[in-house]
Amino acid sequence: MDQATAPTPHTAMRPTRIVLVLLNVLLGSLCALAQNAPPDPDLLNPKSEAARKLRDSMATPTNDWPGYLPVSEEDKKRPKVNLRFVVWDGEEGRPVLQKAVREFEKHYPWIKVKFEGVSQNFQEKLLNQVAGECAPDVAMMDMNGFNRLAKRNAIYGLNEFIAKTPGFNLKGYYKPLVDAHSFRGEVYVLPRDIAPIGIIYYNKELFRKAGIPYPDGTWTWDFKPRPELREKCFTWVMQQLTKKDKNGKVLQYGFASGWPGAFLDTLVFSQGARYADDPEEPTKVLFDDPRVVNAVQFMQDIMLKEKWFPSPTELRSGLQASAHLLFAQGRLAMYEVGIWEVPAFRRELVPGKPEFFEWDIALAPAYKDGGRGAPTGGSGYSILKQTKHPWEAWLLTMWMAGPPGMAAMANAGIAQPGIRAQALQEPWTPGPNTPKEQAYPPSRIVTDEAVPYVVFNPTSDLWPEVVSHFNSQQDSVWLGIIDAKEAMRIATERSQARLDVLRAEQRLPRANWLLGGAIGLALVGGILAWVYLPERKVRRTAKEKHESRIAYGFLMPWLLGMLFFTLGPMILSLLMSFMDWDAITPAMYRGVKNYVELGTVDPWFWKSLLVTSIYTVVAVPLGLVISLALALLLNVKVAGMPLYRTFYYLPSLASGVASALIWRRVFQPEGGLLNTLIYGPDGNWNFLGIASLLKTVSPDGPVNWLGNEKTALAALILMSVWGAGGAMLILLAGLQGIPQHYYEAATIDGAGPWTRFKSVTIPLLSPSLLFCLITGFIGSFQVFTQSFIMTSGGPNGATLFYMLHLYNQAFMSIRMGYASAMAWVLFFVILIFTVIQLRLTKYVYYEAEAK
Amino acid sequence: MNAPVTAKEYDRVAKRSTRVGVVIKTIVLAILFAGAVSFMVPFWVMLVMSFKSPGEIVVSSAWSWPKAFTWDNFNQVLTSPNVNFLLFFRNSLFVTTCVTVGVTGSSAVVAYAFARLKFAGRDRLFLILLSTMMLPGVVTMIPSYVMFAKLHWVNTFLPLTVPAFFGGGAFNIFLLRQFYMGIPRELDEAALLDGATHWHIFSRVILPLSGPALATVGVFCVIGTWRDFMGPLLYLNDPDLQTLELGLQTFRALNDERWNLLMAGSVLVSIPLILIFFVGQRFFVKGIQMTGGK
Repeated sequence: MDQATAPTPHTAMRPTRIVLVLLNVLLGSLCALAQNAPPDPDLLNPKSEAARKLRDSMATPTNDWPGYLPVSEEDKKRPKVNLRFVVWDGEEGRPVLQKAVREFEKHYPWIKVKFEGVSQNFQEKLLNQVAGECAPDVAMMDMNGFNRLAKRNAIYGLNEFIAKTPGFNLKGYYKPLVDAHSFRGEVYVLPRDIAPIGIIYYNKELFRKAGIPYPDGTWTWDFKPRPELREKCFTWVMQQLTKKDKNGKVLQYGFASGWPGAFLDTLVFSQGARYADDPEEPTKVLFDDPRVVNAVQFMQDIMLKEKWFPSPTELRSGLQASAHLLFAQGRLAMYEVGIWEVPAFRRELVPGKPEFFEWDIALAPAYKDGGRGAPTGGSGYSILKQTKHPWEAWLLTMWMAGPPGMAAMANAGIAQPGIRAQALQEPWTPGPNTPKEQAYPPSRIVTDEAVPYVVFNPTSDLWPEVVSHFNSQQDSVWLGIIDAKEAMRIATERSQARLDVLRAEQRLPRANWLLGGAIGLALVGGILAWVYLPERKVRRTAKEKHESRIAYGFLMPWLLGMLFFTLGPMILSLLMSFMDWDAITPAMYRGVKNYVELGTVDPWFWKSLLVTSIYTVVAVPLGLVISLALALLLNVKVAGMPLYRTFYYLPSLASGVASALIWRRVFQPEGGLLNTLIYGPDGNWNFLGIASLLKTVSPDGPVNWLGNEKTALAALILMSVWGAGGAMLILLAGLQGIPQHYYEAATIDGAGPWTRFKSVTIPLLSPSLLFCLITGFIGSFQVFTQSFIMTSGGPNGATLFYMLHLYNQAFMSIRMGYASAMAWVLFFVILIFTVIQLRLTKYVYYEAEAK
Repeated sequence: MNAPVTAKEYDRVAKRSTRVGVVIKTIVLAILFAGAVSFMVPFWVMLVMSFKSPGEIVVSSAWSWPKAFTWDNFNQVLTSPNVNFLLFFRNSLFVTTCVTVGVTGSSAVVAYAFARLKFAGRDRLFLILLSTMMLPGVVTMIPSYVMFAKLHWVNTFLPLTVPAFFGGGAFNIFLLRQFYMGIPRELDEAALLDGATHWHIFSRVILPLSGPALATVGVFCVIGTWRDFMGPLLYLNDPDLQTLELGLQTFRALNDERWNLLMAGSVLVSIPLILIFFVGQRFFVKGIQMTGGK
């Protein structure tokens, strides 16, 4: 293709965006004027001519570009090229993609692809691999992730590849999708699919039973049901489709979304509100916009007051089901989520089977003024700069995010093709040749109709960290512990502060490694001087010198290990704690700002330090007392002692991940072991009066141990007791080491059991006790696995252990410098505790001294 | 209280104490039994759930024995297309073997210098050794990651195994040094007179006598490495390289809330170490005597 005529839609993006923003403002003020005027029915109707024209302006409805280049006989003789290809698709998607990859390998026979699926924290792991210098060649990517990589120069801009590829038709792709994957006019991700979340799955039978006509997309929503509009009012429909029994227990929910944020975004965007002023480079967060606050409050009301919408707590603990499951079981009438859940529903709802019911999808409602907007998924593939074969990587990208890959995905019903022409035909949109098992949902054309209304969340790489404050406040609102206005005030305050800091820090001076190295060498020199200066005066014989040389031979592994794996890293860590460094781009000098940020900006730092300290101060002594009690009991010469010893020790041997899983089950609010014990299988017991006590933390019904902010940490402490076996073994060994005649002597002197315990056992056991205490503290301050697996630090940071926070900073946000500062703070906290404990040494009895 | 006790009185006290002893022993046994049962309950729950169908898990109580006993969950776990537990097992075995050999071997060598040899800077170096025992691992975690990244070692077993060969950890060195100090010096002095080198004394005299201590270091190391989660989490991205502990987490991420499968996976992951414990219990319990009582 001629360079001059190459399509460059992206250069036109900026003006378009400005026009769109202006239009939005105009529409907003018009709507404000005409508050109660009914919306234009022609605009509301997706089947109208106006709506069709709007869609055609976003992408051409036809496409001739095949997505691959011809391969000549010469090409086939090329040297073999290996590519690593990483995706996050789940069990549905992987086999489909793998098949597409195999076909790609057939077409380009000199390329071999290693296919890898990553299920959790994909973006973070990818960034991690870039930092770890082991990045794949091609990776799945989305608009929320690419910016972080693009800014670090870790992925290729694709405009040049596109220009070099004859016939490439970028206009065939949905334009909003391409725009969302671009930054300043450069495409960084070749999109493969779009997934508007503004679609609602509905259960036709429940609509029929309630006597409500099926939705056709021309409905609107309002904060209150408007019975006069009947089925045209979404809120009214949601209310009508909720069924409760006499006691107010919900039998059937009117509506739910895949996650609360999906619906919240719909509410916010359709009112014309946005979360930030500029999606590419935000400078101001808008969470306290009254439209956002009202939407959040509305969500809280329909969850907790009206109960039309199951709250996350209700789903997790009360129902123990996902919204997906509820819908599949016919207990949920409407369900807002992306199209990707279709294959699962097709599997679960097979026509002819008893659980089957008719279902379909409809366009999500507009706001009462006719404004539409909904979030969207969407993804594509990017080429990593660490690849050694960029052109082959581009061939793979083009194949997977071009017609061949899209056809495969569409065929499986997983993802709506990003090329519109493919989204309009079979197999994506059903036609006469569509097989029966792919008949549902019949109105798949809705996925195309929803595209003009998609709103992309800010794509800036700063955004994930900024928005985390908004998300955590949302969680508190859904739990009912705060109202929307206050929550949004806090969210705005914290996220704006974070955004300001992040923006201010994009221009820091380069860190000076030469100076750092000099400081490091000086530190090593200081230590060497401390070790060897006193030796200067010592005169040694030749034999002693010889022995010294031999000794250093024996010490060599440790000395090298000390230098490379302990001292070296410690010095590096100290230097890093004054830097801002992601290990990818050059390090920046940040001075003491990391420490200042810890103390004054980061609210989670104090929270995590507090949580970890409470955990340590309670769990370690508690564990020690229990270990000591068990050891004393086992030290009584009873039958079967080795067997009991084994039983008590086994939990300390169980895999940490497995124990975390088991205990999650134990703590489940309904049917969990702990609550069965406390409340009884039917909820009528009151074991030792604990059930009454627990009323204070959980007034309505069984305690959700891990989901309740007040009990989550206590639950983890309880769980830690299970691991008391390790200390028990050490103490038992200590007890068995106490000579029997000490006790006999004490008895003869007339000592009772308590005196013997106090004056013989404890002093003689004190070295073991101190050892367990110190190692227990050091270990406990670094506890990680439980909260990583069981709670992810939630709810609301109640179990955010220090190590988890540090891990997230270092390996999820790739803020290695900041995390190093955190590590040093923890080091000093542990040091202080250890020194205090070592002060206890004067109460510790050492046999050697007594002799 | 401290008045001398006559022989008659001592007999009386002793007799009474045997009678009291029986009662006490019964009470102790009862408490121990109750405690052991409650410590075993979570395992029981894991075990029975791993033999239940997903349908039965929803309707039955958590601790009941499965009505329709099935091996199907294990079958599904082992044949799951996305995770390969046998491969995980092999990886765990490889990493654990390397680390255990490295730790035991290198700490045995280093401990010899501290226990038997005089050299320049010995006392202060020993102090440094002791203080690194108190050093929380978190301080070196991040720079080590960066270092291994720059060496292109991430996503290989090297960051997990290579450091084990360099000293084997302060605690193990200390433990072995204490043990060596207990071996009579006459033995190595006799060997020295016979013209043996220090390497000979170490390998022919000290090592053969240190079996129990080495076994203790080894068993602790096996347990610690096998259960390590953070290390593999940081360094092993490739699913083909993951260890059992990390693999179970990967499996969980793919099958969240499918309790029958999660519990079957947990059982599989927990079994090897429990077996090792039963085989090595003798070394273990004996060896612990050395760890706490310093």
